Amino acid sequence: MSLADTSFPTGKNYRSSHTGHGVGKADTVFENGHIYTVNSDSEWAEAVAVKDGFFVAVGSREDMIPYIDEHTQIVDLKGRFCMPGLYDMHTHPDLTLAPGYAGYLDVGLEDPTPEQVKEAILSYAKSNLDREWIFGQYFVHFQFKRDGIEANRSWLDSFISDRPVAIHDRSWGCILVNSKALELAGIDANTPDPRNGYIERDSITGEPTGILVDGAYALIHTVMPPTPAHALQRAYQEAIHYQTSRGVVGTKYVHVCENRLDALKVIDDAGEMTLRVEAAISWQDDIFPVRRRWELLAGERHYYRSDRLSANAIKFHFDGTQGSYSAYLSTPWPGESDWRGGLNLTPEHITDMVVDMDRRGIRVIAHCVGDGASDMFLDAIAVARKRNGPNGVRHQCAHATVLLDENLPRFAELNVVAEFSPVGWLPEPYARGREVLGKERFDRMYNFKGVIDNGGLAVMGTDWPVSNINCWIGFEAMMTRKNPWFDNDETFHGQPISVAEAIRVMTINGAHCMSIEETAGSIEVGKSAEMIVLDRNLFKINLQGNVHNTHVDLTIMSGKVVWDRNGELVDTPQQAPLKPENVQNFYERMEG
Amino acid sequence: MNAIPVTIVSGFLGSGKTTLLNRILNSDLASRKGLKIAVMVNDFGELNIDSQLVVSAEQNMINLENGCICCTVESDLIEQLRKLLQLREGRPDVILIETSGVSEPSKVVNTLRYPEFKNLLTIDAVISLLDAEQFTQLEGTMKRLAMDQLSVADIIVLNKTDLVTDKQLQSLKEQWLFPKASVYETQYANVPLPLLMGVSSAEQPPEFTAPEHACSESCSPQNHTHGHTHSHSQQFSSMSWQSEQPLHLQQLKQILTNLPSNIYRVKGIVNLVEVPEQRCLVHKVGSRLSIEKQDNWQVPKNSQLVLIANSTLDKEVITMQLEEALAVNNYEQLDKRD
Repeated sequence: MSLADTSFPTGKNYRSSHTGHGVGKADTVFENGHIYTVNSDSEWAEAVAVKDGFFVAVGSREDMIPYIDEHTQIVDLKGRFCMPGLYDMHTHPDLTLAPGYAGYLDVGLEDPTPEQVKEAILSYAKSNLDREWIFGQYFVHFQFKRDGIEANRSWLDSFISDRPVAIHDRSWGCILVNSKALELAGIDANTPDPRNGYIERDSITGEPTGILVDGAYALIHTVMPPTPAHALQRAYQEAIHYQTSRGVVGTKYVHVCENRLDALKVIDDAGEMTLRVEAAISWQDDIFPVRRRWELLAGERHYYRSDRLSANAIKFHFDGTQGSYSAYLSTPWPGESDWRGGLNLTPEHITDMVVDMDRRGIRVIAHCVGDGASDMFLDAIAVARKRNGPNGVRHQCAHATVLLDENLPRFAELNVVAEFSPVGWLPEPYARGREVLGKERFDRMYNFKGVIDNGGLAVMGTDWPVSNINCWIGFEAMMTRKNPWFDNDETFHGQPISVAEAIRVMTINGAHCMSIEETAGSIEVGKSAEMIVLDRNLFKINLQGNVHNTHVDLTIMSGKVVWDRNGELVDTPQQAPLKPENVQNFYERMEG
Repeated sequence: MNAIPVTIVSGFLGSGKTTLLNRILNSDLASRKGLKIAVMVNDFGELNIDSQLVVSAEQNMINLENGCICCTVESDLIEQLRKLLQLREGRPDVILIETSGVSEPSKVVNTLRYPEFKNLLTIDAVISLLDAEQFTQLEGTMKRLAMDQLSVADIIVLNKTDLVTDKQLQSLKEQWLFPKASVYETQYANVPLPLLMGVSSAEQPPEFTAPEHACSESCSPQNHTHGHTHSHSQQFSSMSWQSEQPLHLQQLKQILTNLPSNIYRVKGIVNLVEVPEQRCLVHKVGSRLSIEKQDNWQVPKNSQLVLIANSTLDKEVITMQLEEALAVNNYEQLDKRD
């Protein structure tokens, strides 16, 4: 083995004005495709040439000839339809997957008896001496009643009192903790109940019994060690694999903390981040604690920055949801005299925070379900533009479930992106649940068309696990407003958008939403070379039932093939690093 | 404003929940006693609402002539409850919640205990109906649900006992019931309302016993589902007990927990040695006992308890037991030990 092989780590060839440019002509030419460029000056092409990760030529086969030399690899697209890669602008792989990978206690029995729960806790405690907390699932109230045992802290204390224990009830309605856990969390007779749950107490003394219900879990979660790094890394890695296999080249992981950013950086440093990620620092502490929030916002976030990773965003929950009737509406909820929903921050707090973040160059991603919440958000951005100048950060109105017609032009005026999550665009029971917003609001729901027709930018986010991480389902539904899996004519409220409009939503609008539209999001000379090769031409199919199950044959990221469904480039320089068997399919059933 | 009592009725499809709800809606609680009952169901279709009684109907709420309200719990129980509590007129005196055959009643119970409802709602009783005939071998999700329904129940109503043999009944009990469960066996979901709802017994004079109803040929199942109060299972008896002496909490708890199983309800105010300043409210329904601090004593500190049973009460024995919890008796015992 030569010295060079062992002494130097793998080099990175960064590009700047005068360095990092590879020798010779194009590295790769992709030819013989039906390439939809999303560049209005030249909508279609049949070939592209890529050098150092950027498009150097887009046009006909003949146009490529000057870019080909002896080192250029030629990839035959075999007449397939190609387009820029997709952008999923709101999703949560960590929240969906990481808890399952954390190595928490799992009693592992269908209906464990108290004795079996006890044994499992003791055995876990013994084999996990390095972990202070014993946390996991589950116990069954019924079995405690059968044995005449009260499920409370005294029972846990009777066999384990030196280490904190927290175990979920099977229906996840409550968590049982021992006295040590209560002590570490500082929960006693004087602790107030949280808003969305309660501490079960002795009715005479007020002392906690050890049962914490719903929102009261958070009191324990804040003192527990964070989700382990390996679980977060695995969750993000699996999501990245999946998204890459479905043609996603840009995504936002909304709600992160310092630990999540660390996990993402590990993947990025290993060169395994096959898409661009904007991670939004969480403003909430009820999901997981963000201990270094202000350090991150002050500048620590820049430590994570690379071509693939950015944390220049913050995620707020301005209002609640339709499900809990807490979305903040412009007028009272149907049947209510004065209940407009809940706003989690005062309007003054929202305004000051938006102005402050805008000044720092941090994108505000604001969860706004109700038309009252988004109105408030747009008002706050108007103040920010006035105080900080008109060219500040492009902010993001997340979910935008229902918007006021008066606000549709403001998205363009104030340079705000309207992000829609597909939970409600198609007629199915869950979406029908959105109809609680009231008849008057139905046709204003998920108003892609209204935003687009008024010159604004609309994007989509899968919001996994609220809906499926496969963004092709939402891609189809925004064009049909019909259910992809049922062959019927039932249409959800509101207007569908055209194929061309939907492709822009899924591509260049996403790039705008990540503020990389100058360098990505369409197939144009000078832009980063992202392209996907599909098994069908979206302009030539009957949309309903035929888009959600689209197969992405190739995903090209910065000129490199990162996904090759059929292994067509195996044993070539463009062999994809990701093997199909390494991609976990989270929802096989829904893709057929 | 007093907290509104809430009774939760759970059970699988066909267990008799709807029969029971219809029985309550059509009882004399509304017509004769003027109680406004709000019934929260999953689907109006299940209730047999006489359209002539409907005063107004909108979206998911129907107002009946007798003051009762029926509403559907669509996606959100919390908001539906808020709505009921905010009604300008006709705020209900009592709320009945039917949990769907597929939802976990423990979640409903948890929700009702949220701080925001603490002073507005109080859980009167959690009733789970069991179809003795169908409730045998359950697997998977259904088994989990059954466990949830049973573990959260204050009173378990074992319904349709006429459709099974004694042996089957015995094996069902062995498989599904637990030692301290409070069980009421019946047919046609025929349960005396005073056991299910505190309000229905509140105005009964102590010592009241419903007249025995001689069941005749005319008592078809249809008759029974109409729930006329003369039906034969409506018999119950009650007794009251009072004392000027303070009680010891632990002894009282123990005595109340171990009362004979035919006593389904105990309600009252007690004067506890441990809580000298405040009145304490005793509420026992089936297997659930709660003793909670209330406001400060204003009147002479008198403990008063009312006990309701579905058959004759042995008043002497119960009186003797309760008196064992009196502080004075404890001192006497201590004296004797010296």
